[in-house]
Amino acid sequence: MRHFLLFFLVVSLTASARASGTVRVVAKDPSGTPVADAVAYVLAIDAPAPVRPPADPVAIIQKDQEFLPYVTAVVVGTRVSFPNKDTVQHHVYSVSPAKKFEIPLYIGESSATILFDHPGPVTLGCNIHDWMVAYIYVLATPYFAKTGTDGAADITGLPPGRYRLELWHPRLAAKVGREITIEGTADSTQVVSVTLRPDRRIRRAPDSEGLGYK
Amino acid sequence: MLRPTKGRFGAVALALSLLPGAWADGPYVSDTARVSWEDNVTNASAGNGVLGAFSFGAGTTLSWLHSGGFSTLILSDLSADFTVCTSYRGLSNIEVGPRLEVRHKLGLGAFAPSLYAGIDGKATGFQDPEQSKIEGAFIFGYSQRLSEAFQVQLDGRLGSYDAQDIVFTGNYASLAGALNWDLDETWRIRVTGGWRAGDTVSNYTAVMSPYGWIPIESDALNLPGAWHYVRTFDAPFVAYRVSARTWSYGISVSPAIGRHTSLTLEVKRVETVGAAPYLDTVVSLSVAHRY
Repeated sequence: MRHFLLFFLVVSLTASARASGTVRVVAKDPSGTPVADAVAYVLAIDAPAPVRPPADPVAIIQKDQEFLPYVTAVVVGTRVSFPNKDTVQHHVYSVSPAKKFEIPLYIGESSATILFDHPGPVTLGCNIHDWMVAYIYVLATPYFAKTGTDGAADITGLPPGRYRLELWHPRLAAKVGREITIEGTADSTQVVSVTLRPDRRIRRAPDSEGLGYK
Repeated sequence: MLRPTKGRFGAVALALSLLPGAWADGPYVSDTARVSWEDNVTNASAGNGVLGAFSFGAGTTLSWLHSGGFSTLILSDLSADFTVCTSYRGLSNIEVGPRLEVRHKLGLGAFAPSLYAGIDGKATGFQDPEQSKIEGAFIFGYSQRLSEAFQVQLDGRLGSYDAQDIVFTGNYASLAGALNWDLDETWRIRVTGGWRAGDTVSNYTAVMSPYGWIPIESDALNLPGAWHYVRTFDAPFVAYRVSARTWSYGISVSPAIGRHTSLTLEVKRVETVGAAPYLDTVVSLSVAHRY
């Protein structure tokens, strides 16, 4: 009897694991060039999936007076740390509606972690080095992935059902989305065409005016 | 008029700049190098000895930063610079000086305005020793980014310098404004304008008279400031200290070479009005690198 129950449990778990699909999202601009740093995510239409924030903070570092990574996707409730690996102080801030905060000038490991408790895009900056910019996209779904340099992102572990596939990018010109259906363990590929605004950033190269608030 | 302070500001700034190692992070090093052509290095009125000169130079600045609390930075710099004037060696010089300033940003974000105020000191040794001087100045300024492409800057100085010879000693007040237009992350166009009121030195071609060397322009004898025969240039000249107002305007094009370096080509026109009016145009090519 005990062996039968164990066998039943293993079979059930295996079946359960297999009953999830993967969506490969490939983001391309109208010319066919892969789009990196896009956050692809799906929202369950029939039964919203609960999100479980990670126990440890997600780190966004500052190195060579830049944020790394440029785009970070997290779920609602995630704490983010901002270790400063530079030898110069930074003043990290956001004035985005989804999360307003600032960590005044510091160097090294900041003791502060910031809780991102509302969904939406958050733009990060350094109040001294104006060219420093990065983005956090806070999601209310556990199903997401970020595109790499090949423009591809794999969203895994999707139970069967209907979803809305959406995509976000810091320079997205118009919202993109479509409905998709996951059937059993079938994997699918979704090619999404996105139009990006020009990549306009603040010039970093020095002039003759020294350091600070440039 | 301001009174010469014999470098008191500079002495204070120098003393404070020696502290940073203990209480600030840095130093951060930035270097510049430049070549320039000036078509009226004598600051002479038209017809009275206008001479052009070519020069080159380089400098380095060590900067320390200290957090002064919310959105406030205390910066201290120590700079060293040399200029070689290939046309008239007397104008070649070496310059060292500290600078201390407090910068405050009024709010968060790239587009928040920032203000600064501080003191600047400088000791300059010329090959023509009569011109060697110590300078101190109060400095203040404002800058604001209007968009990713545009930034305005205003800078003011209230300075005093004390030279070996009284002709080269004086005081001044100046205001300068700039508009930076970044076409993209690489190309910057910068338009500048400036105003200066205070002492300046104008050189006149000298001729020998029964009374010694006198300026070729007889009206120059009526100038109210101190004057002195100088050997700075190949020909005999008389240097006058005159009180004048100067307007300047310029334009530069600056391509970035990577994230740490930029090249700048600038043309600047200077118009001085007053008892000894003169025009001057400076064309310079410089490179700046921040480590």
